[in-house]
Amino acid sequence: MISRIAYVLRETAASFRRNLTLTAAAVITAAVSLLIFGLTLIIQHGFDNLLAQWEGGVEMIVHVNAGAGDAQRAVIEEALVQQEGITIESWRYCDVTCSLVDADRLLAGDPTTRQLLTAENITTQYKVVPMDATQVDILRGLRDRYLGLPNVNTVQLAEEQLDLISELQGFVSTYTTGLWIALMAAASLLIWNTIRTAMFARRREIEVMKLVGATDWFIRLPFMLEGLLHGLIGGVLASGALWFINDRWTAGVQGFPDNSGMTALVVVDGYQWQVALIILVFGSIVGTVGSGTAASRFLDV
Amino acid sequence: MIRLENVTKSYSEEVTALRDTSFEVAKGEFVFLVGPSGSGKSTLLRLLNRQERPEEGAVWVAGRNIVDMPANRVPMLRRNIGNVFQDYKLLLNKTVFENVAFALEVIGRPKHVITQQVPAVLELVGLAGKEDRFPHQLSGGEQQRVSVARAFVNRPLILIADEPTGNLDPATGEGIMRLLDRINATGTTVVMATHDQRIVDSMRKRVIQLDRGTIVRDQARGVYQ
Repeated sequence: MISRIAYVLRETAASFRRNLTLTAAAVITAAVSLLIFGLTLIIQHGFDNLLAQWEGGVEMIVHVNAGAGDAQRAVIEEALVQQEGITIESWRYCDVTCSLVDADRLLAGDPTTRQLLTAENITTQYKVVPMDATQVDILRGLRDRYLGLPNVNTVQLAEEQLDLISELQGFVSTYTTGLWIALMAAASLLIWNTIRTAMFARRREIEVMKLVGATDWFIRLPFMLEGLLHGLIGGVLASGALWFINDRWTAGVQGFPDNSGMTALVVVDGYQWQVALIILVFGSIVGTVGSGTAASRFLDV
Repeated sequence: MIRLENVTKSYSEEVTALRDTSFEVAKGEFVFLVGPSGSGKSTLLRLLNRQERPEEGAVWVAGRNIVDMPANRVPMLRRNIGNVFQDYKLLLNKTVFENVAFALEVIGRPKHVITQQVPAVLELVGLAGKEDRFPHQLSGGEQQRVSVARAFVNRPLILIADEPTGNLDPATGEGIMRLLDRINATGTTVVMATHDQRIVDSMRKRVIQLDRGTIVRDQARGVYQ
């Protein structure tokens, strides 16, 4: 077993050296496509942060003054209950803890402002799901009515923020997804071609191996390992580049004005490490599949 | 050890390499396959290690019909069959030792077995002391000896040789034949395709003559013609 492993590693290293330019091309293509894949995930996550408070069909948020107790909020809840089954399908109260979690995501790119928010001064929220989200006039009427209630700080409607962001998210998502799929296919084909070239260069060895009784898997393994390494190295490079870009972006967003709406469009909660792991696994799979199909297809050289 | 039963092998509708061919080779026999180019000798050898499959008939090797043998069992079959070729098929970037060791390495033999068996077989074929040379530093005869060593290092039951003396001068060819004869004396069955009349006549082994895919002569202690 040890001799087999040693053989596979030695042959993989030799193949890397022999095909240096093709290997470099395959790794760089894999790295670029994985970087765009990672950026797509990061951007999506940024948009998710931005839209976090609107999850679950919420179309209106009633912000309640900090410090308002149960008795003060009872007036607001009574107004909400009155509309249940008429214009409001459901509503829920987002308390201090819940509101701080929302703030963590919304102000991810603006830690200075986030630090100013505490359990004592943050507004709590009523998140309202309407019966019919398309009836904008009804929602506007509710907003005007709730604004007049005591202890209501402000009332936000999704139409003011959500539609534009959703459209932007869809646009970015569609084009970056298309781009990384195309580039990933190119990387896979390049790995496929690199392995094909490597196998052609070693056709005599392969012929001898088959004649002396080496199994097909044993012959394929160094080539598959080579493809896996193409994808894995590409993944490491892409993860590094992604970390650098995200770090620069996050630093840049801190300088944006508070009302720019960009403070939530950053990823600082460790998600980038998950993305790095996804990129490494995905790169390895693409590399192995590309090389594995080539190694099977061209075994009879 | 080897039995062909009514084997027919075609490469196209026009080209039939073997027609309804049957014969048997006992364990430890030495058999020459003779006949003009295109008579089916190489095809017959390729059938024995499952490089080819016949359209009809059965090919029995070491008690198993290999025609319908699953693909994943073929490597095991080939570990019992050594192959020697006219063009040696040596790996030019490997030394003599590495070329022979390669045959053991790729079937997973441990290192201590390799370091024990390779020098022994190189001694047998007369290449002791040349382990570190590369193929281009050897004569044609020496290269063929490396090829024989690689074929025999795993102690196969059968050794297949396709024109092993075809690229060698007569004296060197005789040396290779003495080597194959010694290997045969250890109990390994040898099947050799050749055009070399002098060698066949001098060895006086069993001769199977093919012509256009058909056996036209099967003679014990035979001669070329």
